[in-house]
Amino acid sequence: MLFGRQKKNPIKINDHGVVDWKYATCGYCSTGCAIEVGLNAEGKPVTSRGVADADVNRGKLCLKGLSEHRLFDSAGRGTQPLMRDEIHQPFAVTSWDSALDKTYAEINRIQAKYGRDSVAIISTGQMLTEEFYTLGKLTRGLIGTNNYDGNTTLCMASAVSGYKRSFGSDGPPGCYEDFEHTDCLMAWGSNLPEQHPIIYWRMKEAQAKRGFPLVVIDPRVTMLAQNADIHLPITPGTDVVLQNALMHVILDEGLEDKVYIKANTNGIEALSAEVKNYDPTTAAKICGIDEDTIRVVARLFAKAGAAMSIWTMGINQSTHGSDGVVGINNLSLITGNIGKPGGTSLSITGQCNAMGTREWSSCSGLPNYRQLESAEDRAEIAEFWNVDEAFFPKKRGMFQTDIYRAIETGEIKGLWLIATNPLSSLPDTARIRKSMAKLEFVAVQDCYEDTESAQYAHVFLPAGTWAEKHGVMTNTERRVNLVQPLVAPPENAKPDLWIFNQMAKRFNSESKVNFPENADEIFLEMGGLSKGRLSDISGMTHEKILEHKGIQWPYTEAQSEQGIAPEKGGVRLYTKPATFRYEDGKAKLIPLPFIDNNEVPDEKFPFWLNTGRLVEHWHGRSKTGKVANNNKFSPIPFIEMNPDAAKELGLRAQDYVRLISRRSDAIVMVMLTQRVPKNMIFLPFHFHDCANRLTLGLLDPYSRQPAYKQSAVRIERCEDQQHAAQMSMEMRAF
Amino acid sequence: MFKVRQNEPEYAFLADKTSQELNRYGLSIETVENSSDLRDESLNINGDEAVGEHPNRYKQHGFFFNADNCIGCHACETACSEKNDVPSHLAFRSVGFVEGGSYPAYKRLNLSIACNHCDDPVCLKGCPTRAYTKFAEYGAVLQDPDICFGCGYCTWVCPYNAPQLDPVKGEVSKCNMCVDRLEVGLKPACVSACLGKALDFGVIENIPEGHEQAKTEIPGFPDADITHPNIRFEQSKALQREMTRSDAMPIKYHRDDAQGKFVSAVDEKHGDKKQWHWKKLLLSHESSHTIFTLTTQAVMGAFMMLMLGGWFNIAVVQTILQSSAKLPLFAVMIALISIGLFKLNMHLGKPHRFYRGFNNLRHSPVSREIAGVSGFFTGLLGVGFLMFCAQQWPTVTWLNPVAQGLAGLTVISGLVGLYYMYKLYRIPARPYWNHWQTASAFIGTFLSLGALIITSVATPFAVDTQTLIKAAATVIALGLITEAIGHVFHGRDLNAKGDEGAASHYIQRTQFGYPWMIRNGLLIVNIIAALIISIKGLEGSLGMLIALTLSASILFSAVISRSMFYAIVIPTTMPGAFFWKNQGFVEHARDVGLADMPQMGVEHERHHAFDWDELLQTVKETLGK
Repeated sequence: MLFGRQKKNPIKINDHGVVDWKYATCGYCSTGCAIEVGLNAEGKPVTSRGVADADVNRGKLCLKGLSEHRLFDSAGRGTQPLMRDEIHQPFAVTSWDSALDKTYAEINRIQAKYGRDSVAIISTGQMLTEEFYTLGKLTRGLIGTNNYDGNTTLCMASAVSGYKRSFGSDGPPGCYEDFEHTDCLMAWGSNLPEQHPIIYWRMKEAQAKRGFPLVVIDPRVTMLAQNADIHLPITPGTDVVLQNALMHVILDEGLEDKVYIKANTNGIEALSAEVKNYDPTTAAKICGIDEDTIRVVARLFAKAGAAMSIWTMGINQSTHGSDGVVGINNLSLITGNIGKPGGTSLSITGQCNAMGTREWSSCSGLPNYRQLESAEDRAEIAEFWNVDEAFFPKKRGMFQTDIYRAIETGEIKGLWLIATNPLSSLPDTARIRKSMAKLEFVAVQDCYEDTESAQYAHVFLPAGTWAEKHGVMTNTERRVNLVQPLVAPPENAKPDLWIFNQMAKRFNSESKVNFPENADEIFLEMGGLSKGRLSDISGMTHEKILEHKGIQWPYTEAQSEQGIAPEKGGVRLYTKPATFRYEDGKAKLIPLPFIDNNEVPDEKFPFWLNTGRLVEHWHGRSKTGKVANNNKFSPIPFIEMNPDAAKELGLRAQDYVRLISRRSDAIVMVMLTQRVPKNMIFLPFHFHDCANRLTLGLLDPYSRQPAYKQSAVRIERCEDQQHAAQMSMEMRAF
Repeated sequence: MFKVRQNEPEYAFLADKTSQELNRYGLSIETVENSSDLRDESLNINGDEAVGEHPNRYKQHGFFFNADNCIGCHACETACSEKNDVPSHLAFRSVGFVEGGSYPAYKRLNLSIACNHCDDPVCLKGCPTRAYTKFAEYGAVLQDPDICFGCGYCTWVCPYNAPQLDPVKGEVSKCNMCVDRLEVGLKPACVSACLGKALDFGVIENIPEGHEQAKTEIPGFPDADITHPNIRFEQSKALQREMTRSDAMPIKYHRDDAQGKFVSAVDEKHGDKKQWHWKKLLLSHESSHTIFTLTTQAVMGAFMMLMLGGWFNIAVVQTILQSSAKLPLFAVMIALISIGLFKLNMHLGKPHRFYRGFNNLRHSPVSREIAGVSGFFTGLLGVGFLMFCAQQWPTVTWLNPVAQGLAGLTVISGLVGLYYMYKLYRIPARPYWNHWQTASAFIGTFLSLGALIITSVATPFAVDTQTLIKAAATVIALGLITEAIGHVFHGRDLNAKGDEGAASHYIQRTQFGYPWMIRNGLLIVNIIAALIISIKGLEGSLGMLIALTLSASILFSAVISRSMFYAIVIPTTMPGAFFWKNQGFVEHARDVGLADMPQMGVEHERHHAFDWDELLQTVKETLGK
């Protein structure tokens, strides 16, 4: 063997010089991976690794998590409170007191002049649960606007709404351990390898052991679709038709679980009647899946011992999002696949703490799935918070998407925007820009000051990010896990919780409402509010969560007091008969008539515009766009386009094209691949001033979530490629 | 030693219980005999003298990659980059892909490839500085950036794009097999990070649990015969007959049923439009090589023709040597080759480490080339000096014979240099170069530009200019014809083979279509003109004009030709993705300025300063020993 040198040289291998590993929960997606961040002797975060004995990720992390320590000193962080009178003026650095005083005064002024609901508060799925709870208390209990929502309306609202309609409450009933028991997995518009790589790994490990069939419903040949046993390349926006057809076959062939249906559900008659209209032959013409395949899949799903469905934005971001979720629940219910190992209907959540905001933010109601519509809930919370019960509205106010329409029509005059950037994330951003400019007052609270929303801010409040703060997050499988402050926020930036508490002091002049300062105290307060409810966390404390590397709810005070340790995993909801959240304990089977209201391709706009995520990016790239080892895998916006379509338009790979919709245009680079059909392009939504310039985003009637994935565009080659490159580049500068 | 967590998951640990004796190439998997001195030594990682006790420490290890399972999530790449603190424009491991089929019967095959720690490490053999070592421990091939002088030759010879030449630091670095983790029984960081159950690692030829195949061929992976890489693949799911690449390389992979594997084929994805691309052609980072090879070959040609002509009593040459053209000729030759050597040296990532170029005479054609050319350059200076002295002091009779003797050595050294200059381009991973045309082109330059130097300098001093011009024209014609014949066969052979060489030829015909046609046209015109002149001679001011025009034309054609040689070569390297590891995007990012942004993962090519301080420090340290 050839060795080269006989006398070996010493080897140098990079050593991060870690002296301490600190625990946190990942701040990107809702998988909820436990991370250890390595700090060097100077206390600087230098490396990240998965926590070995955390049940969720078992030592693994995806590429974003592996580089997450690089966030703290990334470019564009907000470091000082900023203020200005008019948005065309430059910002001036100010003190926290004056920034908060001004925000308080403006909210008061606008509410006094135009009414309590004329100020909107829009938050996020990115903060910690204690922060959500505190903001909820401040908003519902003291500020009193009913136009308070989160950007979760853009991601999980349809899941929330669908769960509520089917089961009587939000709350995903399944868990990751279900992969290890299932006999059939259906993934509806969910691309685990790209969006939730660690959940994919859990699924893959389980599949390697037991080899269950995987059915993927997705118009695009994603890696998951490619690896599926059966891939159903569905026509966009027609999932409900496919669901009805599957149920048609199941009921027609008597494959349903009659005993389960009788014991646990209401409404089978109406459902049967409706799905009669969707025989596979008829449905095939609408949803694009041939009738034989529909029958094969229906039989596979119904005959499986335990069958589970997962879904993500392919279902949620649709004009039938809520219906799509109900359809998945219907399928699970009629086959008896809820609350049993491997049989579930599990929404794969988006943001790291979308679940936390669903449970505790009070956006859609009151804490812990309490509803404004319930007098009992209102009274309970009013007493607990020491506020006047009459101060609460009797039904929930507007969703984020509707709030923007109300800004447009002049109904809403003031806005406090927290950790979200609607100028990038809402559909048809030209309209959003116009709306923002109409507001009399905008406060933007964010960890980055270089987002487009800040361009419209009168006050900018610099916040801490992720593990600069203290608190918990809840993941997709209802696991509450801890984030600890590893470093302080940069310069004069402050944790969101501190900002809320400072703001609360101003609204809470009589000090009648208690706002604890520390996250662990707040957590205990929340625990008290959760006793006996679906999402019972009363048995948990921060210490206990850390000890167990995350605990799934419910985990009750009683369990804790009896010394019952939390389960490692595998905690499910609705495991006992008739324990759904409707009065009679039965879930609802809801008929789903299909109305096609999507913008579909036509002669002028001949391509479907499908949007979605890439594994290397998170949301609007405000984080990952600055981490070169993430960003480099897709540094500029591009479309996946079918080569046959490109040939007809005279396009080559790496050409810049202008995408034109009925709303506006966007410049992107062309990547050619047969991953997409000839009449569709796929455009990652991460890039600002891009995808959402084009999207229509019709709203779901129940969840008010926009249909991001069904718009129509035409494609023109940019004549001056140099100019196009320049335009594209200027929009990517940070 | 690397710290192992108490609760480290099982998947992170090396798991080989048994292993085979020999690998599939007949080489022992045990890297050294039990009695070998190489055993039981510390790897001396970061100054740690502990010796790893892993039972398989002296067995060749390698990666195992299940291409069916890879989801292209980049976790392996990122885990590697984070562990090794690799700057974002480089990657010790990278994920590219090939794809095939039509919607929805479409399949993407992701390929995550790092260094394959080959049985026949061509990087180690090629590196002139001996920066590479293959360790008996795990059979790891490691590279030491502190030795490297940044010539990038290893990046040329490696078929897998494993060595990473950093345009910022001017040095190469690469996958180190995570030997620090291996020493404590852990699999490399990339393997432990894999989320698709795709990447594994262990003693070579062992098939990890749950897998069945151990192939050395998958579409996109270069021919394993080149280096006997220590990687094994599983890929059992059906693929389409044709798998294409998403990067700008005009290559696809076509299933050859007879061979039972995928072979490279040209993918004319950029169309057939002829283009100019002058800037890319003439101002690339490789232009130093163009200048170096052209000047060196020309000067060698001129010198050897003069010396051999003198020794073999060729009348024309004798006249030149006796004329006063002799010293100006030496001056011109020395000046030209100095420019070439200067350009070559300054193109190194660490030009002040030039002296390390001789370190690997045993294996590296680059070292031998450097030695040969350096010998020739020294000899040329010496012969020139001696001849100058002989002219100054005609009475000192020993000067001339000594000069002749030295000239003999210089000729030999030059021939050695020239041979290895050719030899170093015979790289299996670069089919465009790996053809005898490289030799014919070099000989062509040697003759044509050599004769051009002689005649340009000597004519003004000559008595019988016509004889000189005719003789020179004959040699020039001969050189150009040699070059032209090479081109004809080169094109024919490349296109017949249809692999990366043919793809290079496709790029030559299209992206550099106009320069290529101009070169071909000039070559034909130049040959005809030289032939006519070799018979008819040249006279008067018209003759002068023709001579000047022809000289310019020959030079121009030589520069285009040689620049294309460097610009067009397509290595048999791993497929990239659409942005990442796509040379097409890298060039675009550099052109439009995207590369100026730090988060793009693209850096500009740059020149590196001659660091006198480091050189002096080394001299001091060496003398101190």
